[in-house]
Amino acid sequence: MSYGKKQVLKSIDLSFEKGKVYGIVGENGAGKTTLFRCMAGLEKYDGNIISQHGPLKERLGLLLTEPYFFEKLTGKEYIQLLMNARNKAIEDIEGRNVFDLPLGQYASNYSTGMKKKLALTAILLQDNDCFILDEPFNGVDIQSNIIITEIIKKLKALEKTVIISSHIFSTLAETCDEIHLLQKGTMTKKVFIDDFKTLETEMKTFSIGTKIDKLMLD
Amino acid sequence: MTFYFLLQFKMLNRRLADFGLPPMIAYFLFPIAFVVLSNHLFSKIEFATYIYTTIAMGLSLKLSDRKRNTFLKSSFNNKDYLKLRMLENITLSLPFIGFLIYKQEFIPVMVNVIIAIALTFVNFNIGFNHTIPTPFHKRPFEFAVGFRKTYFIFPIAYVLMAIAIYVANFNLGIASMLLVFLVSISYYSKLENEYYIWNYNLTAQAFLSRKIKTGIYNVSLLSIPIVIPLSFYFYDHFLLLALFFLLGQIYLIAVILAKYSSYPNAMHLPQGILIALSFVFPPILVAILPYFYFQSTKNLNSILK
Repeated sequence: MSYGKKQVLKSIDLSFEKGKVYGIVGENGAGKTTLFRCMAGLEKYDGNIISQHGPLKERLGLLLTEPYFFEKLTGKEYIQLLMNARNKAIEDIEGRNVFDLPLGQYASNYSTGMKKKLALTAILLQDNDCFILDEPFNGVDIQSNIIITEIIKKLKALEKTVIISSHIFSTLAETCDEIHLLQKGTMTKKVFIDDFKTLETEMKTFSIGTKIDKLMLD
Repeated sequence: MTFYFLLQFKMLNRRLADFGLPPMIAYFLFPIAFVVLSNHLFSKIEFATYIYTTIAMGLSLKLSDRKRNTFLKSSFNNKDYLKLRMLENITLSLPFIGFLIYKQEFIPVMVNVIIAIALTFVNFNIGFNHTIPTPFHKRPFEFAVGFRKTYFIFPIAYVLMAIAIYVANFNLGIASMLLVFLVSISYYSKLENEYYIWNYNLTAQAFLSRKIKTGIYNVSLLSIPIVIPLSFYFYDHFLLLALFFLLGQIYLIAVILAKYSSYPNAMHLPQGILIALSFVFPPILVAILPYFYFQSTKNLNSILK
């Protein structure tokens, strides 16, 4: 995958199993969003992305970092639109409003966190088998973060596949079975639960380095 | 503060350039257009000064947005903030005040100046939170969004239809129906984010077919309150009415297909020219509809595959 002459992602070879939660970590610009676009079939790529659920496109729930909402479309209508797109009927949208969102109001007027919760609710109601959650915890209040964590655990129990990116390591450590480290467009490391603590320490040491000293705060 | 106005000027130039109008040409054309339109307004309408004052006030009100002014208040001290807001409002009202002086309407001049200064102290939330209900909740999208932006057009169209019946003017009736079609067609002018297409579990052909069916159903829903009374009162013109109704639907289809024929870009000049040509010479639609359809499926396949 490349933008102009700059190649963003090197060859990708990934396989995702049912009932597993995968974390993707990497600095801003490492290629996480591009990777997710490749998985969703929105970008061409070299390599293989395999899922136990079969081809992803029609059973994939995609939560973008910054979900896009049209002006003058209510929260309820947004959910209805996404349900129609997957040919899924839904009777009681309000009854399944897990985040207590004001569904009768225009989604474009929602706060950042509410927008994210609405987009998440919509893909959950679509009853997908696989979920890509790009920064699901960003901008969301602490109570909803707890709910999102529990939802991810429930999806795992239901044999769904969840792929999450987050800049908050603790959220990944709590939910993921394995974490992939993405650096400059390449998957450099795959870490399992037992080694999460070591990965966190390594990332801290690498990221902080002597950068704070540059500020010359003292 | 000078830097603030300099930035505003730069931003205005950028907006004009984005619109496709070189700023120099815009600054040459706008004053001419303003004077011509103002003259026209004052020569045709008795209460022109009231309309004029309302327009000037409306423009100043746009600058009273609470969010915008909270930002300004937090960036400037109180004295500079008030000076800045007053200058903005007066600058915006200047063309109107100037023309009113030329027309020797001195009382409206005073009223305009007082309003511009008074609005300096007013802040409110622009865009009310009330949700406008629509009949499109089952298939919400273009029509739900568009209807909420243009809802005021429909009472006008329906009143025009009633007047057409009252004065027995069939052409006016047709015009009221075409107004509904024209407004509905405009709902397809805005491109959707690819996420809204990607989500569909459909082939490109089925996606287009659903878009077209929804469009036909919704535009019929909005135009039927005009079509039924017209066909009842002008039953001798029924065939002509049906022909215009059909043409309206065909143009709706053409615009939907044209939109996706250039996706993910906005409609290009060639599509625009072809649509414009089809208004002059409708039979050309026979050729351009398949062309747009072919191009659309090609573009959509890459997202819906």
